[in-house]
Amino acid sequence: MAVRPVLRLPATALKAVAKPVGAVDEAAAALAADLVDTMRAHDHCVGLAAPQIGVGLQAFCMDVTGHPKASSRAGLVVLFDPEVVASGAPALAREGCMSVPDLTGNVARPATVAVRGTTPEGETRVVEADAIEARALLHELDHLDGLLFLDRVVSTADLFRRRRYR
Amino acid sequence: MTRFAVSVFGRDRPGIVAAVTRVLADAGCNLEDTSMTILRGHFAMMLVVAGPAGVGEPALRAGLDPVAGRLDLQVSVREVADEVTAAAAGGARYAAAVYGADRPGLVARVSEALAAHQVNIVDLQTRVVGEPDPVYAMHFDLEVPAARAGQVEADLREVAEELGVQVSFEPDEADVL
Repeated sequence: MAVRPVLRLPATALKAVAKPVGAVDEAAAALAADLVDTMRAHDHCVGLAAPQIGVGLQAFCMDVTGHPKASSRAGLVVLFDPEVVASGAPALAREGCMSVPDLTGNVARPATVAVRGTTPEGETRVVEADAIEARALLHELDHLDGLLFLDRVVSTADLFRRRRYR
Repeated sequence: MTRFAVSVFGRDRPGIVAAVTRVLADAGCNLEDTSMTILRGHFAMMLVVAGPAGVGEPALRAGLDPVAGRLDLQVSVREVADEVTAAAAGGARYAAAVYGADRPGLVARVSEALAAHQVNIVDLQTRVVGEPDPVYAMHFDLEVPAARAGQVEADLREVAEELGVQVSFEPDEADVL
């Protein structure tokens, strides 16, 4: 149970693909607690993935309860070995990340998503989310694949994608 | 360390970025912020670079002149003050799009309405697309002083109606996830 330092670019651990947690044991439960403690220690932080605290395991936490843009609100979500089981049409919104200081960018992500994973109690949980909660889930899942929002960023200039150069 | 504003403009062709940035790299300059794009078939580069002590405008120009000659580019190099910062401190981020039939003065009218409220344009891109009836499209990233967003939007809509163009004005705050 501890607030851990949050890694920032150019930390290479952020770009590694995380390994499955598998059977939930004490170490996994401790990781879950550290993730939640660290998330809660940062104002405005609504999600944190294990690679961001230097742990290369498929684990994340999320809580958008107090977020003004939230529509669905699943409360505190902590999942191991999560996978996307359904997703809807994409929407564009500006994101930032605690591991990428100062930069923000427009990222297209499914506006609705269902994610299934294992809770710290060892049970299967499916979270169906929309709006900011869907975006947060997909952002955290990306961290488990070694992907940052920078890998998905869409320029505002893409409004003008069909350019006529001459 | 000295900062320089470097701008390069010329007919687009492969190799412009490589040639220009090679000269800057060999001079020991660090490319800080840059924006480079094609404008109607011309390639435009705007760079703020940090040069090491002892490197001045004449040295950079001397390095860039051969490249400019070979690739038919207009190049300018100018030392800039170090402590340049954004005019409006803080403010809320908004994105605005304005589009409609092309006519002279669109950008001037819209940006005057923004300037009247001390709105800072952080990024602006405009395009003219379509024939025979060209459509003009502008996309703004804006910093709007606190509590002025409502009035800014109202004034933008008034200008847009007068000009017969469409406008959208949306918060563009990032969510830190």
